Amino acid sequence: MNLEILVLIIVVTALSGGALAAIFAGKKHRHALAWFFLSFWLGVIGPIGDFVLGQRDWVSPIVATIVGAVIGVVVVLVVPALPVQPDPVYPDGPKDEKDYLHCSKGFLSWALTLDHKRIGLMYLFGILFSLLVGGVFALLVRTELFFPGKTIVDQDMYNKFFTLHGAIMVFLVIIPGIPAALGNIIMPIQLGAPDVAFPRLNLASFYLWCSGAILLVLTIPFGGLDTGWTLYTPYSLESKTPVLVATMGVFLLGFSSIFTGLNFLVTIHKFRPQGMGWFQMPLNVWAIYATAIMQVLATPVLGITVLLLTVERFAHIGIFDPNLGGDPVLFQHFFWFYSHPAVYIMIIPGMGVVNELISTYAGKPIFGYRFIAYSSISLALLSFLVWGHHMFVSGQSRLANMVFSALTFTVAIPSAIKIFNWVATLYKADIRLKTGMIYGLAFLLLFTIGGLTGLFLGILSVDVHLHDTYFVVAHFHYVMMGSTLVAFLGALHHWWPKFTGRMYNEKIGQICAFGVFFGFNFTFMPQFVMGARGMPRRYWDYDPQYTIFHQLSTIGAFILGFSIFITVISLVASFWTGKKAPRNPWGGSSLEWQAPTPPPLYNFEKPPVLHELYNYDDLVEVEPDRWERKTPIEDEPEKADAIARKIGAVTDHTAGATQAERAAAMIHAKAEEVRAEHDVTESSKGKALDPKDLAADKAEAAKVAGAGEVMPTATAEQAKDEEAKNKDEGEKK
Amino acid sequence: MADHAHDHDDHELAHVATLKTLLATGTTLLLLTLLTVAATKVDFGTNINLAVALVIAVVKATLVVLFFMHLRYDRLFHSVVFVSALLAASLFVGFTLMDSSQYQDTNIWNPSTPPAAPVGPRPVNG
Amino acid sequence: MTTAHEEHGVEHDLGHHGSPFVQHHYDDAQHQFDSGKFGIWLFLAQEVLFFSALFVQYVLYRVHHSEIFNYAHKWLDVKFGATNTAVLIFSSLTAAWAVRCAQRNQRRGLIACIVITLLCACTFLGIKYLEYSHKVHEHILFGRYFDPCISPGNAELLTQNNECPGTKSTIDWDYGSEKAKTGCFEESKIDVDPNQPGVQADCAVAEITREKKTIEDQKTHKEVETWVEKSRRVIAARCPEPHLPEAGVAEHEQFPCWRPAYQPVVCPDLTDAEARRHGTAGRPQDGILVEYGDSAERGEDIVIDATCKAPAPATAQSIELLASNNGEHDLKEGQGAIHPIHIATEEDEFERASLGPPPEHTGMFLTIYFAMTGLHGIHVLFGIFVFTWLLMRSIKGHFTPEYFGPVDYAALYWHIVDIIWIFLFPLLYLIH
Repeated sequence: MNLEILVLIIVVTALSGGALAAIFAGKKHRHALAWFFLSFWLGVIGPIGDFVLGQRDWVSPIVATIVGAVIGVVVVLVVPALPVQPDPVYPDGPKDEKDYLHCSKGFLSWALTLDHKRIGLMYLFGILFSLLVGGVFALLVRTELFFPGKTIVDQDMYNKFFTLHGAIMVFLVIIPGIPAALGNIIMPIQLGAPDVAFPRLNLASFYLWCSGAILLVLTIPFGGLDTGWTLYTPYSLESKTPVLVATMGVFLLGFSSIFTGLNFLVTIHKFRPQGMGWFQMPLNVWAIYATAIMQVLATPVLGITVLLLTVERFAHIGIFDPNLGGDPVLFQHFFWFYSHPAVYIMIIPGMGVVNELISTYAGKPIFGYRFIAYSSISLALLSFLVWGHHMFVSGQSRLANMVFSALTFTVAIPSAIKIFNWVATLYKADIRLKTGMIYGLAFLLLFTIGGLTGLFLGILSVDVHLHDTYFVVAHFHYVMMGSTLVAFLGALHHWWPKFTGRMYNEKIGQICAFGVFFGFNFTFMPQFVMGARGMPRRYWDYDPQYTIFHQLSTIGAFILGFSIFITVISLVASFWTGKKAPRNPWGGSSLEWQAPTPPPLYNFEKPPVLHELYNYDDLVEVEPDRWERKTPIEDEPEKADAIARKIGAVTDHTAGATQAERAAAMIHAKAEEVRAEHDVTESSKGKALDPKDLAADKAEAAKVAGAGEVMPTATAEQAKDEEAKNKDEGEKK
Repeated sequence: MADHAHDHDDHELAHVATLKTLLATGTTLLLLTLLTVAATKVDFGTNINLAVALVIAVVKATLVVLFFMHLRYDRLFHSVVFVSALLAASLFVGFTLMDSSQYQDTNIWNPSTPPAAPVGPRPVNG
Repeated sequence: MTTAHEEHGVEHDLGHHGSPFVQHHYDDAQHQFDSGKFGIWLFLAQEVLFFSALFVQYVLYRVHHSEIFNYAHKWLDVKFGATNTAVLIFSSLTAAWAVRCAQRNQRRGLIACIVITLLCACTFLGIKYLEYSHKVHEHILFGRYFDPCISPGNAELLTQNNECPGTKSTIDWDYGSEKAKTGCFEESKIDVDPNQPGVQADCAVAEITREKKTIEDQKTHKEVETWVEKSRRVIAARCPEPHLPEAGVAEHEQFPCWRPAYQPVVCPDLTDAEARRHGTAGRPQDGILVEYGDSAERGEDIVIDATCKAPAPATAQSIELLASNNGEHDLKEGQGAIHPIHIATEEDEFERASLGPPPEHTGMFLTIYFAMTGLHGIHVLFGIFVFTWLLMRSIKGHFTPEYFGPVDYAALYWHIVDIIWIFLFPLLYLIH
């Protein structure tokens, strides 16, 4: 038993207490619980200080822990006794339509928020910070490799650099990047939902993420981690670096991921508005759904794996230790049963946002909607069948090698379906090269390269040659970074105006997007070449013949790092300098563009109207970066709603999708009449409507499927009022 | 079940299990526990004993899932979720077992009796 | 799948009448209940996968090394296991009943059911505590700590059943306890003298003295005050001849030595701290370890200087002593040997023949046992927290037919905990 373990015990106790509390406690107690949580962390700081100072003193950590615990308990007892203000955030928030950024103020209104957008925004900043830390380690690795032999650090430090780069980038940036941050912000709005299904669980996941992130980053002051991000046994059992801290961090991050996935699955199942069937969901939501399946089914295995590793390391139970009869290959099975699906947890959300980017900026319906949706799900399912291809040279048996190699090729099918469909969407499209679209197109290229080189590695005989070389490094960077991170940046630009209310600087964005693309290829193209020539990965030194490739790669890495840095600075600066963003700056068709910018607490000030998804015919750019719908339906939702009620379309919906579609079509047809009435007023507003367009719309409305009505927040009183009013009107007529 | 024929009538959020069902399930489970202990006393051979014990365990678990957990009366999709978890787990067990049965021989379990050299010609190098 | 909105969207959207616990972002009680129920089922799916890795491990070792299961399961008491199964099943029944009570608005019944469930959960953990504490006490532990030989309670195991693995003893014994001082052989206390064959002192910790000293910490290079052990411990003994079992003769009859030499005697190289940590300490030697010099605790490492001596040759006197004790022997003068003091009865012989030596890595069974039951126990503990919370709320009367989700979800969680135990019980306790 040493200090490391003591710290872990404290941390785990604190975190489990805090997380449980956040899940179970009522809103009144949330304040107390957050303080409890924070004070436990205060208690943890003592032991950490001790460790950093090199003291091996037992008194001060214990005292610090007790102090932290006492503060926690006192706070828990005292704070609930304080007079509690009506919760400014949720669910009895103010009824005026202030946006979610301004509806309440103060640190606690953010730290205790249940609003998915605020939680997502906090995730986003955490992830951007982790990106910075991981990026610095990446640049340090690349700098060290500029010359053969020692450039800046020695071998041990180099091991720590690449381990921390990998661990931070994988666990803190890429896995939560799109689903937890952008998914949290955007997905419920795309569904037309007021929030995720379990807001408190959402907050708990965020704090689990924070705690895991703190632990993982804490390995740096503890002396760095040198096992590689994969934590392979038996080395991770022997390493003198703080493996336990890292494993516990990964454990917590895993559960954060599980709860996020669970939350999203329930949200997608239960919070779709009526009229939005499974195939009227934006493809981004489909991707998040597929991701969530893997998060729920695969991540627990990571949890138990690192838990066993933790116990193995301090209690020597012998599961993975060959000296005690354990099986180190079993660890790799456990690890990759999670971590292969994790690769898809990283990439599928990226694919999801690319659907939105390409379709929106091309202004064309996405080609092969159902195929893309199905391919997301099939990727999720196939991801469970191919984990062994990471273990071809790990002592895995020949039979398993062959089976896994064969199964690996199946993954290419859904991936290719997506690529072909995106290319088909772009065909003859009027492409607008906004920053988001540049990233989207970069994704197409980089993912194609990453995916195809993956096929090389799936071939058993080729893999034996290429395994653990820079070819593998380049391959997975093309997929993880070139695809996922690029998609993440694209999505960030795409939705930035929506959730911050500010336009970013388009010029800087575009230049940086090109910088990212070129810098990335500069970095990793040479790695393919030297990998194929035999340069092993994770080596500190290398043969001089590889010098030129390493130097190109390092230069590229700095271009890349610089571009991303400027991008992030420019985006953050737009909080203050950007001009106000309109509701729909890019001409997007999904529901989030109907919401105010930035959205209010419950996302929509009035029930959003479903239009045909990925149909852009109805949208016009009234001024640069401001799109409006030609139909005035959204200006008259109450009226349209009332009509819908009158004709019985909304109430008769128990029979499922087909009837909902029929109802939607009826609403649309009725709405046409309303629109006709308002035609004159529209024209006087300056939005000239072509009669031809109108006729086309009418024809289309008849065949439209999947449009409908949504009323997630409407109360019965409102509905009744509407009905009554409508009846009156009808009688008058 | 007669009085609870509707899973989602206006007053109930979910199916209400009858007392009879609950008690019958509980009793059966306890009896099966006795049975499984008794079955160990009889020597059918290790494998058959294991199979008997597992079959009883599966029956017990099924009873719990169907009646205590109301899965029989619940939405179909909840069964899908549960079964897919079981499938994923069995996939995990199956693949790992398939692999390990191949390489276990190379895992030196007892240093005093190292595994036999592989049979067959030596692989030709390069 | 149709959505809750579609089913209950408008007609049932009666605001949030009924229970005050229906949250604002849900349409109605039904929507909230359905969402929660789907959520808890996903959580249960997650739990299945969470446990699955342990089942993988179990299956792997059961298939490839069934011998350790067949040998080691006797350390688990079926009575305890069966009682716990029954307790858990009963608590599952009351948990399901609690849901029914909540749905039927029977507040008193709900409270009673929750209390019974809680009591059962505590009973379960109590019985688990008995099992665990016994194992800790007897050093029947996982992996590296599997060492029943150094426990006084297992003296019988050692002397009669030939089960002391001897060389597996590690040096991590409990210095402070009285038990450590007594060792596993009562006889060993009488006379631990390597010069006198016939005196067995296997696995005994003869004496331990401690004194405070200042040493240099290896990691920080600072002076650290620590306890230094002066200890004496005798570990393994060796039979005189190489043993090739003869056909048709029971193993124990072939060897004059009390301990059939089923494994080479190892005089551990205790100075190699790194090797000891991984349980690989030791090099085969013809010898008997009799003495330790100073041992010092530095951080987590214990460094001991040890000396090994060859067993002294038998003298006429010692052979006579042996004969008076044991009756039969084929020891010759001048042969290095050690013989048991215990005179085996016929029953002992039977036991010995039927049990034999433990298989290699028996500790793996205990690893699996502790990992699986331990994780399950943590889940039971978590269940206790949840049911306590439910109890508090049900006393306040929060649960009504419109709002009983938490009871239902907790019960579902409790059932999955029950199901996992339903599998653990036959897999661990009922090995034939």
